[in-house]
Amino acid sequence: MRDKFIPHLSSFFVWRRLSNMTTAEFIQNVLNGISIGSVYAIFALGYTLVFSILGIINFAHGAVFTLGAYFTYTLAVGQFGINGLLSGLNLDLQVPFAMALLIGAVLAGLVGVLLERLAFKPLRTRGADSLLALVSSLGVALVIVNAIQYLVGAEIYTFPSGVYGNIKPAMMFEVAGHTVVIRTVQVIIFAVCMVILTILGYVISFTRLGKALQAVAENTTTASLLGISVDRIILVTFFMSGFLGGLAGTLVGTSFGIAGPYFGVTYGLKGLAVIVLGGLGSIPGAVLGGIVIGLAEAFVPPDYSAYKEAVAFAFLFIVLLVRPQGLLGRSHIQKV
Amino acid sequence: MDDFLQNNGFLIVTMVQQALLAMSLYYPLMSGQLSLASPGFYALGGYVAAIIGTIEYFAPWRDALGWSIFPLEWLAAGIISGVLAVLVGIPALRLRGIYLALATIAFVEILRVICLNLEITGGAIGIFGVPQLFESRWSYIWTFGPLLILMLFFSYRIDRSRVGRAFKAIREDELAADAMGINPTRYKVLAFVIGAVLAGVVGAMSAPFLNTWNARQGTFDASIAYLAYVLIGGSRSMWGPLLGGTLLAALPEVLRPLKDSRLIINGVVLVFASIYMPQGIAGAVGRIRNFTVRKFGSARSEK
Amino acid sequence: MTVLLEAERLCRNFGGLKAVNNVSFQVVEGEIFGLIGPNGAGKTTLFNLMTGLTPVSNGTLRYRGEYLTGLPPHRIAGKGIGRTFQNIRLFKGLSALENIKVSQHVNTNCGLFSGIFCTPASRAEEKMVDEKAWELLKLIGLADRATELAENFSYGDQRRLEIGRALALEPQVLLLDEPAAGMNSAEKHGLTEFIRGIREQFKLTVLLIEHHVPLVMNLCDRIAVLNFGELIAVGNPVDVQKNPAVIEAYLGAE
Repeated sequence: MRDKFIPHLSSFFVWRRLSNMTTAEFIQNVLNGISIGSVYAIFALGYTLVFSILGIINFAHGAVFTLGAYFTYTLAVGQFGINGLLSGLNLDLQVPFAMALLIGAVLAGLVGVLLERLAFKPLRTRGADSLLALVSSLGVALVIVNAIQYLVGAEIYTFPSGVYGNIKPAMMFEVAGHTVVIRTVQVIIFAVCMVILTILGYVISFTRLGKALQAVAENTTTASLLGISVDRIILVTFFMSGFLGGLAGTLVGTSFGIAGPYFGVTYGLKGLAVIVLGGLGSIPGAVLGGIVIGLAEAFVPPDYSAYKEAVAFAFLFIVLLVRPQGLLGRSHIQKV
Repeated sequence: MDDFLQNNGFLIVTMVQQALLAMSLYYPLMSGQLSLASPGFYALGGYVAAIIGTIEYFAPWRDALGWSIFPLEWLAAGIISGVLAVLVGIPALRLRGIYLALATIAFVEILRVICLNLEITGGAIGIFGVPQLFESRWSYIWTFGPLLILMLFFSYRIDRSRVGRAFKAIREDELAADAMGINPTRYKVLAFVIGAVLAGVVGAMSAPFLNTWNARQGTFDASIAYLAYVLIGGSRSMWGPLLGGTLLAALPEVLRPLKDSRLIINGVVLVFASIYMPQGIAGAVGRIRNFTVRKFGSARSEK
Repeated sequence: MTVLLEAERLCRNFGGLKAVNNVSFQVVEGEIFGLIGPNGAGKTTLFNLMTGLTPVSNGTLRYRGEYLTGLPPHRIAGKGIGRTFQNIRLFKGLSALENIKVSQHVNTNCGLFSGIFCTPASRAEEKMVDEKAWELLKLIGLADRATELAENFSYGDQRRLEIGRALALEPQVLLLDEPAAGMNSAEKHGLTEFIRGIREQFKLTVLLIEHHVPLVMNLCDRIAVLNFGELIAVGNPVDVQKNPAVIEAYLGAE
């Protein structure tokens, strides 16, 4: 009965909205939803990878997301504003966007590795309460966010429109007399996310590394007995997590601008909603959850757009109460 | 001395206030439940006080009651928070560990977005000109101070009572507690409600203290800040939230000479404290005391 | 002879596994009833069904004629059924004294505010709880270590503390899950006497899971044998020992 509840509820809302929506609006919403949803997906994957290995939530993931966007901005644009230590600096590195995106993500991945070494490993080796990992990762988040503010101030940075090269900013086409707009950014975001998801899916399912990762996620002790270097796998996981977070940060940054050092916080929280919706620790679940929440936000009526920010959390709350294991998660039987 | 209090009154009262908010997280933790809902109830309580203090509808009440409208605000905030806590707590407390934490984060965020959009809460701007109870910041110690003492007294007594034992038993092993005749849902909800009522009352006291109230009062950052207070202070003793709340609230002030980089240091302190004081400050103090007792003997014999 | 506990066609499935399958038996007031069987026979699952920790898939359980099926564990405990755990589930971070005080929960009723304000009633109740806890600690021989944390006790002491904690419920039925596990032979002998003693003192009915056959044969009035979730024999120790199905399933395997 519980399994039927969620589709019923969502189909009710969809029906209400669809009943007075033009085809063009519908298509527009789906496109917007899938584009932002795919970013949610890759961002949330960063959470879920760490959770599946260590069973903890890395609260610094939102900060790594932010950092990724700033890295890419520095490489591709490199012009800073009037606040912070680097004020007025113009690096003018002019790294091509695709390259900057990749390097930015790699740097974010390395920050992920650093984060694991500084904030998580010492706690793990002491066998400390896993709650403390929340606090120490939050400490790192504070350091990152405030370091950004210290260096480049709290102002908004936007990527110039020509950053991708010489492409039209948007495409338009008509559906039943109404216009549908596809922004180039949205296409790029979606394409990048799909490429990343495909690579990640391949790595996890078909490579030795992926098998080792799955083994560690299943049972750390057994995996180490099988000769897998758990420590190395954890590092790789944090690298991948940081990479995905940084990439997502850049993609959101190019689409909506980098709204100051704190702009990752909201995404950090939405990412939690995504992974719970999909099922904590489930990789396909994170992807599905990202798309579902992206779509749900896109379909919020314009009159209620102020409540858009609450959609993900409403999902989070309801899913936890109705189906805590999420859409694709496994339920656990407690052993007495 | 008077100058000192006038200049640092805001900070000292804030330290006490943050210690109280840390305590609101401590009660659920006492029964093993990681609830991050406190900022939600804190914000709610503040809105209750700000609304009663400013809107036209309550003007005759304010005129008739004078300063005694304030205790009434606290009471109203406590009751509303308590009722909401029961409604949220009964379904949410079936969840364990991180799932409960996430559900309470969602609760705080939903409440925040709602308050950001309602007319009565002043939308994004919030509510300005909340009437003051005292003229100086420092004087607010006369509301927060007694509440803190009262809560410490409550904690001390609860710890040694039947209800406190039920809390602790659930924290240690919920299933075994259930098999020993303790209804876990009932006591988990009770602990959650105590925390919520406290946070609500602190909110209602804080709105006049801060003079203004808005949706930034109850955020995710605050959730984690309170958690940090309790964990770094020590979650196993009522002195933990007191120490954690006061010290961490004072930290940015202490670091003020470092100017812009002080919040970076604040983060570093959180990382180091969680790594090197896993039992919190209270736990570390306890260990040192035990060590000295063992090494040098103690006049006070343990019962 | 009154029937105290009655299981009828009790079943519990975990996925495809029938951990307890169609088990029916009766326990008579005042007896020591042994439950034996090879590992994985479903003994602990049966205890979990009886205390409500695992929901029953099918069948009924009655205690003094009242249905236990579907009740949450704390309600069953409140009816006077106490238990210990195979893998010891003490409140590790609490002292021995507190462990025992916790279990007096069902027999006391002091609420939050009477506790906070120390009303005369709550003070009287607390005094009673304290006295009784010390009494039980003396009974299990841990009175001199009352303030030590439960996690610091040796294995055998933890088992005794767990029995003490169950006794604090003032139960009429006591379910002991492998109380002798990890004890040496002297301790095992002591345990036999101890269980007999508490049965007399508290007018208990005892159900007992145990692997150590001599202890079971010596202590129990009647024995039920489980194998692969099914009950294959019930009777007095001598008869059960001679039962060919039992010899094959359990005793023969030793």
